[in-house]
Parts: sequence; structure tokens; C-alpha cells
Amino acid sequence: MNIASLSTDQAPPISVPLRFFAVAPLFLVLAALMLAMSDGNPFAAAQTPALLAATHCITLGFMAMVMMGATQQILPVVIGSPLPASRWVAWLTSVPLGAGALSLCGGFMSGNARLFNLAWPLLGVAFLVFIIAAMLSLWRATAKNVTKTAILLSICALAAAVTLGILLARGFATGTALDYAALSVAHITMALGGWVMLLIVGVSYQVVPMFQITPAYPKWLSAVLAPALFAILLLNLALLLTGAEQTWIAAAGISFWLLAVCFALVTLKLQSQRRRKVADATLNFFRLGMVSLLLAALLWLVALLLPAFDMPLRLLSAIAFIAGFAMSLIQGMLYKIVPFLVWFHLFRGGVNAVKVGIPNMKEVIPERLMWWHLRLHGGTLLVALLAPWWNPAAWLAALGLLLQGILLGYAVFTGIAVYRRTLRRIELLAV
Amino acid sequence: MPAQAIQYLDVRWLPPPEPFEHIMDALNSLPDTDALQVLIHREPFPLYDVLRDGGFVWQVTAFENGNFEILISRAT
Repeated sequence: MNIASLSTDQAPPISVPLRFFAVAPLFLVLAALMLAMSDGNPFAAAQTPALLAATHCITLGFMAMVMMGATQQILPVVIGSPLPASRWVAWLTSVPLGAGALSLCGGFMSGNARLFNLAWPLLGVAFLVFIIAAMLSLWRATAKNVTKTAILLSICALAAAVTLGILLARGFATGTALDYAALSVAHITMALGGWVMLLIVGVSYQVVPMFQITPAYPKWLSAVLAPALFAILLLNLALLLTGAEQTWIAAAGISFWLLAVCFALVTLKLQSQRRRKVADATLNFFRLGMVSLLLAALLWLVALLLPAFDMPLRLLSAIAFIAGFAMSLIQGMLYKIVPFLVWFHLFRGGVNAVKVGIPNMKEVIPERLMWWHLRLHGGTLLVALLAPWWNPAAWLAALGLLLQGILLGYAVFTGIAVYRRTLRRIELLAV
Repeated sequence: MPAQAIQYLDVRWLPPPEPFEHIMDALNSLPDTDALQVLIHREPFPLYDVLRDGGFVWQVTAFENGNFEILISRAT
């Protein structure tokens, strides 16, 4: 990261990213409630209504909410190009995304066509506004780096995932005859393998060396990983939509997972070479995420070898990817981003801020809370991986998710309270 | 007026914004006639604006191993 570009002029107001981070934990609570409301074990099959609803609550309401908020903060910092009309973009993405996620999850739980018909235009608006704004920012940027490429490709993948998702939601609502199996796989692949994976790859190139004080990612990896992953995803999409032979689709899948394994192993190696061997909860969230990515790859590859266990193994791979890889990284990064933003925006108070005394970044969210969350998250992941076979584990996973949502929400609001309290003292001094 | 004494601060391999926090703490308690010599693992560009606003002058030395030495004192 060129820290020179971390200028106070480029960064959006703190309310822009924080509104996304404040709302997102609520969707973890809702996902837990949807799992708890299921008739029987929601993990018994890959597409039970409660599991579909809870999954979209997490991927849209939690993950996309945080990722879109974070991207609006990251783009100005990493490529020196802010999103246009940042406050408008924040409103026009966060509100329809939240409302759309709620409607879609309601649709999955109830099977009500009207909710699907409400959901897809709302989600369409949220993502369209975000994609256009992010593309404008990328287009205007003069900086060229591997993170910019990864974020660009991630947003292209998001556009494909959203198009496929809208097609599916409209199809459910109208009862249109579609190849739902192929479209669902294509949608999941572009959303998780494209949007989520590529954004994490791009952000990791900056966050791991800078905040975890490790060597930089090797050029042989950072120069080719995101374009190679994206090329494989496009090939996979073409194969799926043209009804190609399973052998070719499997070959594309194997290539994707081998690259993902490569990314996880290199990240873990870099983290083992960090300059300060100090225990850090956010680092451990990151490590748990990388180990989960390895597990997701292993389960997917074993599913190819054991066709009789294809369904449960692929379901476990998806759990390891979403709950293990993506959620660990997103929550770990939130525990870095929120204190950093609070500190950074208070620091903008200038001389009065220095007189009042800006809280140390480590004082914004108590570290022990992060460690409790890490343990809770690890436990939730473990029981979620047992849930397809052991009914009590499904309820424990729902309980774990509920507690995580509450804990994360409390942490984010603690950060906001510290910001408001200190800002008031700075303003009083200025009067 | 040359600085009477130099205080040393090593903030290498601290994650952001800890180097900045430590430098600010050290500058707040720095006697007017002293200088602060900071050793850091990357060039702290955002620090320079703050130093300028705070009435400080500084000299930067880049080392071959990637570290930087910033010698800060009050502007006379």
C-alpha cells in the first residue's frame, strides 16, 4: 500500500463505512433465527429452505454488507481514487441491500413469490449502484497495482453473480422453466469463487504485509493469481451454461482449488515469517480463515473421488468456505478496520484532537472481546461441520451464530461510542 | 540553534498506526531544545503533514535495508 495515498481528503466520511458495519451483525442474528426456525435439521440437505435463507442472510446481509462498506473505504486508500458521491452511494447500496436480503430470505423461508419479486429489484439496485460507482473509481485511478486488478476482477465476478441470482429469483417467483441446477452452481461459483475470493486476495496483498508485518506476497503469485482465478471462473461459467461434460467442469474446479490452496499456503507461510511474534486475535482470525480454505479445497476434491458422498462433502466444503474462510477473514478485518477508522477520523480533529487525547487504537475495542469472539467463532465452525450428521450440532451452530452477531454488534457499537465521545470533547474544546 | 540532546525512538515492525502514536507521544514530551531520532521500517509520509503543521522540521535518511531514520526538531 502506498501510505502516501492515505490522505484525509481522499477518505470518505466515517459514517459511510460504519453504517454497513453497524447493520451487518444484525444479519448474523437473523441467520441464526432462521436456522432455529427450521422444521428439523436445516443442514440435512444442501437446499433446505432454512439453510438457503440463512446462507443468503450471511452472504448478502453480512458478507456483502461489510465487503461493500469496506470497498468504499479501501478504494480511495489503495488506488487513490474515491467513489463518486460517496454518501449517496452508501445510502443507495446499504438500504436496498438490507431490504433486499430480508425479502429474499423471507422468500426462501415462506416460498412466497411476492417476496422474491420484491427482493430481486432491491438487490439489483444495490449492486448496480455499487458496481457502477466502484468501476468509475477504478477507471479514474491512475495507480496500477495487483490489488486494483484483483478488485476489478472481483467486481466483474459480482456483476455475473448478481445477474445469475436475479435470473434465479425471478425464475422462482414466476415458475419459469430454467436449468436451476446449472444456474445455481454458476451463481455460487461466481459469488464465492469470484467476488468473495478475489476481493479477499486483493485486500490480503495489502493487509497481510502492512498490519501483520510480514514480507510482501511473492510476485510470481500476486501477478498471476487473480487473473488466473478469474480466467478459470469464466471458463467454468461457459462450461456450466453450455452443458459441457462433467469431466471438463471438474478440471476447471480442480484448477481453481489448487490456486486457492496455493494462496492459503503462501499466506500462512508469510504469517509465520512476521517480524513481531505477538499474540493477536485478528491474526488468528486470518489464520483460521486460511486453514478453513484448505479444508474447503480438501473436501471439494475428496467429493470428486467419493461420488457416493458428493452432497454432504460439497455442503461441508461450502460451510468451510463461507463460515470458515470468508467469515473468519471478514470478522478479523473488521476488528482491525473499525478501530483504525475511529482513530484515523479522530486524528483529523487536528490540534484539538491532540489536546483532548485520541484513544490508542488498541483501546477502541477491548482485545479480550476479540479473543472471546475468536473462540466462539471456532466453536461455531466446528459444530456447523458436524451439523449434517448430528442434529444437536445444528442448534448449537445457530446459537453460536446468534452469539457472534450480538458480540460483533456490541464491538462495532463500542467503537462508534468511543468515536462519538471523543469527537464531542474535541468539539467542546473548539467552541 | 542545534539540538542539545537527541532522543532515540525505534518503531520498526509496529503495525499502523502504532509508529505514529509512539512518535506523537515522544514529540509531546520532547523539550524544545532536543531532537527526536526515529527509526522506522517504512517512510511515514502522513507524518510529514502533521510535523509541518506542528512547527517541526525533519531530515530523512533512507537505508539500504529498507529502514528510514527521521531526525525531528522544532523549527527555529
